[in-house]
Amino acid sequence: MAIFKKKPSCHGPVTGPAIKGKKVALVGNPNVGKSVLFNALTGAYVAVSNYPGTSVEVSRGSSTIDGQPCEIIDTPGMYSILPITEEERVAREILLNERPDVVLHVLDARNLERMLTMTIQLVEAGLPVILVVNIMDEAERMGLEIDIPLLREKLGIPVIGAATAKKRGLAEIRQAIAGYEEGRQAVFGYSRRLEGDIVTIAELLQGEYTLSRKSLALLLLQRDEEIARLVAVQEGERGAFVAERVKEKIFERRESFHLDLSLERKEIVKGLLAGVIRTPAQRRVTFGERLSRWAVNPLTGAPLLIVVLYYGLYEFVGVFGAGTLVDLLEGKLFEGWFNPWISGVVKSIIPWEIIQELFVGEYGVITLGLRYAVGIILPIVATFFLFFSVLEDSGYFPRLALLVDRLFKKVGLTGRAVIPMVLGFGCDTMATMVTRTLETVRERVIATVLLALAIPCSAQLGVILALLSKTPGALLVWSLCLLAIFLLIGLLAAKIMPGETPMFYMELPPMRLPQLSNVLTKTYTRMQWYFMEILPLFILASVLLWLGKVTHFFERLVDWMAPVMAAVGLPREAAVAFIFGFFRRDYGAAGLYDLQKKGLMDPRQLVVAAVTLTLFVPCVAQFLMMKKERGTKAALGIGLFVSLVAFASGWLLNRFLLTTGVL
Amino acid sequence: MIRCGYCGYEFSEEEGIRGCGKCGKPGGCRMVRCPRCFYENLPEPGTVKKMKKLLEKLK
Ligand SMILES: [Zn+2]
Repeated sequence: MAIFKKKPSCHGPVTGPAIKGKKVALVGNPNVGKSVLFNALTGAYVAVSNYPGTSVEVSRGSSTIDGQPCEIIDTPGMYSILPITEEERVAREILLNERPDVVLHVLDARNLERMLTMTIQLVEAGLPVILVVNIMDEAERMGLEIDIPLLREKLGIPVIGAATAKKRGLAEIRQAIAGYEEGRQAVFGYSRRLEGDIVTIAELLQGEYTLSRKSLALLLLQRDEEIARLVAVQEGERGAFVAERVKEKIFERRESFHLDLSLERKEIVKGLLAGVIRTPAQRRVTFGERLSRWAVNPLTGAPLLIVVLYYGLYEFVGVFGAGTLVDLLEGKLFEGWFNPWISGVVKSIIPWEIIQELFVGEYGVITLGLRYAVGIILPIVATFFLFFSVLEDSGYFPRLALLVDRLFKKVGLTGRAVIPMVLGFGCDTMATMVTRTLETVRERVIATVLLALAIPCSAQLGVILALLSKTPGALLVWSLCLLAIFLLIGLLAAKIMPGETPMFYMELPPMRLPQLSNVLTKTYTRMQWYFMEILPLFILASVLLWLGKVTHFFERLVDWMAPVMAAVGLPREAAVAFIFGFFRRDYGAAGLYDLQKKGLMDPRQLVVAAVTLTLFVPCVAQFLMMKKERGTKAALGIGLFVSLVAFASGWLLNRFLLTTGVL
Repeated sequence: MIRCGYCGYEFSEEEGIRGCGKCGKPGGCRMVRCPRCFYENLPEPGTVKKMKKLLEKLK
């Protein structure tokens, strides 16, 4: 490490043996062959150390290029000059603080269009950029032709085509580093409106900066906090004034700044690549690309979402998984054959009725716990996870996030909250934990409330779909109710909770056909974990319920809840499902399934019960997670609030259905 | 390598953010968080890893 203590300085006479060398920083996305190039450029003296104050590793090595000593720095992968991850932050810190003499931007020739955006940003920032278009060999194999000289001309910087893994282009890269002179760089023009904003901010900056004013202005407008701090320091007294102006501009364009900027940059890249890149003739717009465009456009995206939900959730999970498969497993296998057989066996071995009850009674470990877990929940989660994995592997989720961003903004969230919400349909406990990835505390609290209230978990959802799909109209009423409550509570929460909604934009990965092997392994792994997790809980719950039954505590509990049930218009027995539901959401739903099979509920009661149960207090695990993430007070508050809303909604819905006679 | 189910970023298991152990699941959750967008991904199952190693040895 000590070898690199020197700081290249251009002021004053060089004293001592310190070498005045060039500093070369390698930047670029991960997986573009940066490390290979780093190893090719540096000799044996490589030092890997953590960047000060972080857990990010940075490699430094030395090299002699054209007789001149150079220090080569391999920066962590970055996608944009606006950092999101710690790695990206460190990469930018290096550019800012170490002021490299040459910045080698390495990118993948196969993804030129996507990666050139960062080149634009680097050039725009006034950094001394040399562009290395790497992995040319692969690109050529794919039939791509890239006109490097033309690209060089258009960008106004040295551009080198290379295949570092094959040692191609290394000599040219060395030459370019040795002979690098700062010269004219291209200037990229944005729309008049955007340029206007940039100029307004850039003109205010008077301090000394490594990055260009234009680039700083753009970063400020994108709410880059680090740059904001830097500017505050550099501008001194004027800092507050600059910050105020930036704030005004941000406010003016709060809706779409990120998106506009990103689209404009894409246009610039398109212009740069015109004539530079020739793709093989047969390459047309693929179906995946077309589908991708449909998915994010509200006009086509919403119908597409409905189609996905209808066929995926309703037909596949609801009708096939929760209907056909459950009938087969629960009805034929358990009720028809396994339960009578095991009851006979247990009763012949164990003489005491109370112990018999523990295993094969009404709440028996085997006849209830195992039956629910294997007969009802297993087929439902299996189909749900299969559907989920297909969507995940196809790359649909980020598109969904962009699609719902506008709607989510209304309830105080951003498209980013799609992750916890979608995960919530798998397991709300897991999803509650993931809310910590949201940007602001406000967003986290709103998301937690909505998860606890209006998002059913996979097993609950499946059972409810199975229950309601048998009564036409019931499912529609249930969905509309939940959607209405989701929006209503979201809007209220967004009103009550102070603070503004952060911006959201994400780069879309390509859509692709899901790979069967991927989908199957993912489904299998998820199911395995899920099952390992619920089986002990189901057995424990059965034992507790059995205890409740033999001590008659359970009956008393049902008695206590009877008035509430009556108020909501449900039969007394429905209380059982709610008690189950407190152990696990899916357990409660399975309880409802049982009640319906016994013919205890008419369609109206079914819908009311389903709505109340979906809204009702989350299971113990979710409650504990809320406590962990949001604190005891908030968790208790949310729990109480959710129960109140659940029963109030049930009551209202029952009244409504009774008076209108819809069901 | 894990391909993030949300943002499509490819990363090695070591690079990902490993299990929190706080989610209250028996044995903690074994998910691997994407370093770029924090989405929770499944790690490569052990059997798949073993198969890959075997294939590499055969080469
Ligand atoms: Zn990701």
